[in-house]
Amino acid sequence: MDRHQDGACWHCGQPIPAGVDLRAHIGGEARAMCCHGCHTVASLIDQAGLGRYYEFRDALPERPELKDTVAEDYVAWDRPAVLSHYAKPDCDGLYRLSLVLENVHCTACAWLIHRFVGSLKGVAEIRVDVTDGRAHLRYNPERTPLSEIAARLASLGYRPHLDSPLAGTARNQTERRQMLKYIVVAGLGMMQVMSYALAKYIGAWQGMDADTERFFLLISMVVAVPVCLYSGQLFYKSAWRTLIQGRMGMDVPVSAAMLLALFSSVFITLFGSGPVYFDSVVMFIFFLLLGRYAVLVARQNAGQLHSALARSLPVQARRLTGQGPEMVSLIELEAGDRVQVGSGETIPADGRIVGGSVMVDESLLSGESVPRRRVIDDRVLAGSLVREGQMTLEIEELGQSTALSGIVRMLDQARTYKPRMALMADRLAAWFVAFVLTGAGVAGLVWWQIDPAMALPVVLAVLVVSCPCALALGTPVALAAAARGFARLGVLISRPDALEILPRISHVVLDKTGTLTLPEMRIGQIMSSQGQDEDRLRLLAGRLERASRHPVASAFAGYDDGGEVEAADAVTAAGVAGVIDGVPYRLGKPSFAAELSGNSLTEPGPGQWVALASEAGLLAWFRIDSPLREGATALIEGLREAGMEIWLASGDRAENVDRVASKLGIDNVLSDCAPADKLALVQRLQAEGARVAMIGDGINDAPVLAGADVSMALAEGADIARTQADLVVTGKGLGRISAAFALAPRVRRVVRQNLALSFTYNATALPFAAAGFVPPWLAAIGMSASSLVVVMNGYRLGRAELVRGEREKSASSAKAGSEPAALPTA
Amino acid sequence: MNIIYVLIPLSVILMVLAIAFFFWAVKNDQFDDLDTPALDVLDEDDEKDRGGEG
Repeated sequence: MDRHQDGACWHCGQPIPAGVDLRAHIGGEARAMCCHGCHTVASLIDQAGLGRYYEFRDALPERPELKDTVAEDYVAWDRPAVLSHYAKPDCDGLYRLSLVLENVHCTACAWLIHRFVGSLKGVAEIRVDVTDGRAHLRYNPERTPLSEIAARLASLGYRPHLDSPLAGTARNQTERRQMLKYIVVAGLGMMQVMSYALAKYIGAWQGMDADTERFFLLISMVVAVPVCLYSGQLFYKSAWRTLIQGRMGMDVPVSAAMLLALFSSVFITLFGSGPVYFDSVVMFIFFLLLGRYAVLVARQNAGQLHSALARSLPVQARRLTGQGPEMVSLIELEAGDRVQVGSGETIPADGRIVGGSVMVDESLLSGESVPRRRVIDDRVLAGSLVREGQMTLEIEELGQSTALSGIVRMLDQARTYKPRMALMADRLAAWFVAFVLTGAGVAGLVWWQIDPAMALPVVLAVLVVSCPCALALGTPVALAAAARGFARLGVLISRPDALEILPRISHVVLDKTGTLTLPEMRIGQIMSSQGQDEDRLRLLAGRLERASRHPVASAFAGYDDGGEVEAADAVTAAGVAGVIDGVPYRLGKPSFAAELSGNSLTEPGPGQWVALASEAGLLAWFRIDSPLREGATALIEGLREAGMEIWLASGDRAENVDRVASKLGIDNVLSDCAPADKLALVQRLQAEGARVAMIGDGINDAPVLAGADVSMALAEGADIARTQADLVVTGKGLGRISAAFALAPRVRRVVRQNLALSFTYNATALPFAAAGFVPPWLAAIGMSASSLVVVMNGYRLGRAELVRGEREKSASSAKAGSEPAALPTA
Repeated sequence: MNIIYVLIPLSVILMVLAIAFFFWAVKNDQFDDLDTPALDVLDEDDEKDRGGEG
């Protein structure tokens, strides 16, 4: 398979870091893995005998977290309140329930889930909808609790979330089913009516008697009239809606042509003589419906806001009751409840701390990279993460009234800025429609003077031939094919029209924390003061930092050998202390480490330094870097070469942001900004005529992602950002963003070709139709043929060879650009 | 040629039946998931060890 390249992880397809030698046995063969997370998941898949997942899949999964998921993580989901709120009872003690899953990308995922979860005892049925990432479950909670199912899903990397019953899935389903019915009725009707029409054409050659001809006419009418009235109602309704609003839509001439042709044919059949157009009308409706269906499916695939909110909150909360703590689901919480939140957990609701003190990471909400200390009477916000300590929280605001929901609402408003393109298309369409209607009217009047019998066929031919079908189809089809091509690159597209705008981007706004830099930190430099062995120093630090959950500790995690540390203690906002082999050590802020020996210490240079000291004095300085993502340098260079203006906007402190900016050579910097400031920046640039692409990852980026012309989010980032983004970039590096920018002009070229083709067709066919050279059936064929041509042209974009070239290019440029990637942050 | 007066209305009735059958299939979730069933064929092992009854 082409995606299993050398040096890439068999499971997630990302490059294997140097020094990692992990192998998992898949189907009896040792396959290289990039991390323990991938190793665990791949082994799990193999042990379940589902190794063929790797043959079926056509999109790469995200790198799974290394975290054992056990049923206890979801224990609150077994509570009766959850069952009664989210599930619907079915027969035989079974319940129906929907879960929203993360990371479902392709059919193989659905298959894997179906096999892996479907084998549980109490699961009667699990069906995964790949398009919206929902799992529809029918299960018996007595035999298999929901927590066990959830843990199974999570262990494969498909983290489940309870689906709010309010979500619009039912509406989407009805819409899709209705459309399918229209299409099939139109398709079957088309076959029937065309066979009668063909018989009539052949009969005209061979001499058909008048009765038979009349019979064919009547039967055509009997079939065509109900089919047109049923399948075409989509167009009539939409045309009517635009008309009563005093606007002109694409559907107005379309409906006019359909109804005019239909009723004139009925009139001719019953009372007069002359040509009838039943076959043309039905065919016209069928092909138009096919195009509309493609657009509908693409639109429904865009993420759902409602579930996004649920994803940023924890699965359950520990509520304090008279009998001690109990795990409850979020729907059971009420204002005034007290909940306990420990380190590593997400805060479930806005509230006030009534006990304990914690370090809270609010980076998802504010972009601030350093956790803040919160003590009694401080307010904390839902969605932020407790890094260190434990607290008791009294809930003040829940659900829709939290600050998190406020951001979600802001993002809803920002979305209204978006359809500028759509508005322009609507205005263009209105002009086009007005032009076509006038043209048809004029042609009809002129022909009425010359030859009244020709007036109707000419009007119909003009209306049908100028149907903006190819025009309307050309772009969506090309974009849909391109979306498939991009998925092969590891870039998932949730709003296809973004691809059209991507090549015209003039400004790029980037977030810093988590986007340009990795969320984890690492040791950039070691300055040992007494000629100590560096490996030994790293080992000591690694063991000491085990006690800490501060982000700085992540820099040392790789050096911990598991050796014993006595009296280990993490002191909030200072550092860690512990005794190793009988020697007491301290690691952390200079003032904290210096307390052991009594000498004061000063940081040796700019950046973020932590000191390791014993009673004898300073042992070493460690500089902690927040490393740039792989491919960051190449991305910035590439964008600059392409003539784009680059902005760095971050909620982080100015010194940190400036350091990254100067390292990458970005001149336009905005630091300390709230989500609203970022949005204001983007809107200011847009007001100056710029087309802005935003690349971000956090919840705080979500509103600005929604407001930008094109938005890209990293798959690793907050879910809410991902659902708002037009493009979601998988993988750890930024190389795939470069690849997306590189491929986009090709998409635009094909879209332009399609537009040119359909315009040429319409422009040349129109005069002929008006001159009376085109009978309506030929007009319908010409319309369909032009549509077919643009569809085939569009499909070229999904081809594998084209994508592979881009991927190799981006891989090599990412390698070249990634080397000196570390830089210090404070 | 008189046979067409029987056969063609018959074809119309068949079409109506086909549409009715399709509507029934749509109503019973047959067209909601068009992706995964394609892979079910590839499963060699039988389904008897699947415990979910119902």
